[in-house]
Amino acid sequence: MHLEKGSSYAETGQLIPPFDSEATLNKLIYSMKINKINKIILLGDTFHDEGALERMDLKSQGLLRYILDNYNVIFILGNHENKMKLEKITFYHDYVIDNIHFTHEAKLNNQHQVSGHFHPVASVKVGSKKITEKCLIHSENHLILPSFGTFTGGLNINSNIMKPYLSNYYDIFMLGKKRVYKFTNLNLVH
Amino acid sequence: MLDNLKPHPIETWLKKNNWSFYDHQLKTLELSKSNFDILLVAPTGGGKTLAGFLPSLDDLIKNERLDNKLHTLYISPLKALTVDVHRNLTKPIEDQNLNIRVETRTGDTSNYKKSRQKLLPPHMLMTTPESFALLMADTKANDYFKSIRYLIIDEIHSLVNSKRGDLLSLNLSRLNTIAPECNRIGLSATIKNKEAVLNFLSNKKKTKLINVAENSQPSIQILSSLNRMPWSGHMATYAISDIYQQIKKSCVTIIFVNTRAQAELIFNKLWHENENFYKIAIHHGSLEKEIRRKVENLMSIGELDCVVATSSLDLGIDWGRVDLVIQIGSPKGIARFLQRIGRSNHRFNEPSKALLVPANRFEYLECVSAINAIENNIIDGDIDKIGSTDVLAQHILAVACSNPFDVDNLYKEIISSWPYRELKKTKFLKVLEFVKNGGYSLKHYEKYSKIGLNKNNLYAIQNSSVRNKYRMNSGTIVESYMLKVKLGNKTLGQIEEWFIEGLTEGDTFLFGGRVLKFLGINNNNINVKVTKDKHPQIPSYAGGRLPISSELSVQVRKLLTKKSYWENFPEQVKDWLNLQSKFSVMPSTNQLLLETFPRKINNKKRFFLVCYSFEGRNANQTLGFLLSKRMQRMGYKPLGFVATDYALAMWSMNCIEEMDILFNEDLMLDDLLEWLEETPLLKKNFREAAIISGLIEKKLPGQVKTGKQIIFNSDLIFNVLKKHEPNHILLEAAREDAYRGLIDLDRLSNFFKRTKNKIVYQKLEQISPLAIPLVLEINRESINKSDLNEFYLEELENEMLTEVGLN
Repeated sequence: MHLEKGSSYAETGQLIPPFDSEATLNKLIYSMKINKINKIILLGDTFHDEGALERMDLKSQGLLRYILDNYNVIFILGNHENKMKLEKITFYHDYVIDNIHFTHEAKLNNQHQVSGHFHPVASVKVGSKKITEKCLIHSENHLILPSFGTFTGGLNINSNIMKPYLSNYYDIFMLGKKRVYKFTNLNLVH
Repeated sequence: MLDNLKPHPIETWLKKNNWSFYDHQLKTLELSKSNFDILLVAPTGGGKTLAGFLPSLDDLIKNERLDNKLHTLYISPLKALTVDVHRNLTKPIEDQNLNIRVETRTGDTSNYKKSRQKLLPPHMLMTTPESFALLMADTKANDYFKSIRYLIIDEIHSLVNSKRGDLLSLNLSRLNTIAPECNRIGLSATIKNKEAVLNFLSNKKKTKLINVAENSQPSIQILSSLNRMPWSGHMATYAISDIYQQIKKSCVTIIFVNTRAQAELIFNKLWHENENFYKIAIHHGSLEKEIRRKVENLMSIGELDCVVATSSLDLGIDWGRVDLVIQIGSPKGIARFLQRIGRSNHRFNEPSKALLVPANRFEYLECVSAINAIENNIIDGDIDKIGSTDVLAQHILAVACSNPFDVDNLYKEIISSWPYRELKKTKFLKVLEFVKNGGYSLKHYEKYSKIGLNKNNLYAIQNSSVRNKYRMNSGTIVESYMLKVKLGNKTLGQIEEWFIEGLTEGDTFLFGGRVLKFLGINNNNINVKVTKDKHPQIPSYAGGRLPISSELSVQVRKLLTKKSYWENFPEQVKDWLNLQSKFSVMPSTNQLLLETFPRKINNKKRFFLVCYSFEGRNANQTLGFLLSKRMQRMGYKPLGFVATDYALAMWSMNCIEEMDILFNEDLMLDDLLEWLEETPLLKKNFREAAIISGLIEKKLPGQVKTGKQIIFNSDLIFNVLKKHEPNHILLEAAREDAYRGLIDLDRLSNFFKRTKNKIVYQKLEQISPLAIPLVLEINRESINKSDLNEFYLEELENEMLTEVGLN
């Protein structure tokens, strides 16, 4: 989610609107409500950096507290939060349910995994149009989720960074405005 | 007057070269000496520049001059022009041993020179609006400029009504405060709204407009080729051999094109024809400056036979002898065309010679209309642009960088600037708040404010890094993310990142007249090598094409209405128009012609609606978006549209009926406001506003990474602001720009007013002749429509499911 990513730029003189945390948290609460979720696993980089909580405005802090009080929340530790230590929050490196491993970054092994970190984005071509959107990747027994935060961007699947984690054939689910569209890696373009 | 000048060094120099003063030059001198601010409007070759400098030179020669104090400032929009004028001014100065120090200051000037200019100001400084703004933002600006006596602004018509002009105007107002005694002279080409430009130049009561008429009508022809004129496309390659024959017949030719892509292609094709080995060069804005300078130098010493150029060569540089100007493709505007024609026969009293080469049959009509308009002295009007908000934000920060300011005084100064004359104080304060800390009402960045009140109750910058960042990001020209094109160690120029995204290694493309092979990217550069490929791609640039001007479009509509006008047109065009009359009807001047017909695209039956709106590409495109939305709601399932300057073609899955409801003006305007908020065009304007206003940076000091990685993505900011603070000043700024720019709201409103209740509807069984060029554009044009992305995604998915048997 990269909460407080906006305010992290203030030091560079770029005064980005500091509304991302509130927007992201509201979106999260809404998603959980309509899908009737009671347990949620945050796959790491929930906070953009160690200073995030301090910079967060009261309203967003309230939303976060609401989530912690009303839902079962599991925090996986991401690279952006490496130095964080929070009271009442335990960070996991690896969280297992039914033999499925929930981690921040995918691992090069045969375990069933659900991870984040890469913020995958995919491009497909329809006629002469190239469409690029966030996507979810299902590669054999690995699932890589798109980023959730309001200010999060994406890394294209084609990048060398993601290649080692993807098998020869995999499914991608692109996030359109109103629904999700399923394709395979054979539809991808650069 | 002449008597007083008898021993005048300038006259001596003129006489040496067998020249003498023009009346308007003497008039400018006389009035300026009496402290009038002057706007001199004259055609190219009319000795404007000397007129502009006479008062200043006269003063420096006759009166006591202070050394190391700035006396005259000359501003021109083009670096090349500045350099050229400097060169020309040096001639009489050196020839007559006048001991006047003249220096140039642009983005290309070395740091050493720049420092020296600051410490030891020359008598005359030649610069650009951007460099001027930077100088004004210096802490010593007040001292530097208070001695100034003359200000000359060249090609001023090209600066007003743009963001560049807005910024210049704000700085002119500041200059007024610092040096109220300075006399101003503006030099302009022929335009319609001269008073507005004079107002832009000066607030003084003593102003004068000196208008010099064109002495002779230009001689303009349209190329008549034996080759088939294409239906659509903009490249005019059908006429290459004819064009080559023209180059053969003249001594020096300039070929003007409208886009960089055209320049590359025409240049490439000409060289394939070039059996006589004429020296043909290419010049456009993406080429590296050394390459451009080289071409300019060769031109000025008469070493080139022909140059293929875009608007990069539009302005008044003296090229010496040019016999012929060829304009490829419709000029799209009358004033612009006149200025381009003016480049040929750079002698004031001789008729200029020009040749128009229409790129397709419709453009033929535009060319004829342009010639008619010129013969009848009709010229395009100019919009009176309101000063942009993002530019104002940048300026406020610049003022703070120079010296702490008082809020009320700054406001008074700003509203004395012509584009900002109607700025409300509430809006000014909102912009001030933005400059301070981002202007967010929901949360404050107190700790990181850029400016704040000091102990004297003046706004000052909080630390020097603010000043450094400002310097790196000042200016109003925002380009798309560009990558440098590197051939080994040599930089050839720049190319837009999104074009490269479409290439894979091994692909070839045209650039700077060469065929290059794409080897790969590293950092900010793409590596290439020269190769010989018959079918290289042509980079297209987002900067793109100007829409046809309102005035020219009115002329075209008139042309279509009377059959007698077409009698002398070439067979190809005449037959086409006759066929249109036979199978459908001709669009008339005060009605809206709509045609529908079925047609297959990729073997699927689609239903077309063509709307002949003639309001220029931008307004037509906006209309396309609006109609798509409306059609979506009415269940027609629109799939796409294509817009040209004269018409709009939409295609959909279901047959379109109920024209009256579809084109109902009132409903349209509701849709318009809603659509404006969602259009990708608004995001584009927002990005520009975010960069110019200083919210996000163009370049951070020391960063070399590509545009995407380090700079915060403006689309993300846009989405968040739209949701949480929809009245944020930057969103307002983006909307203002959008209405005027790509959306062309004025022309769209004009369209609705003009055609209210006047629809002529032709239901056809097949495509009409007039619609052919339009439909042919479908494969060439690819406008990014993220609104319609959903349809495309759905289509692709359906296709795949069908293939697999699941549909």
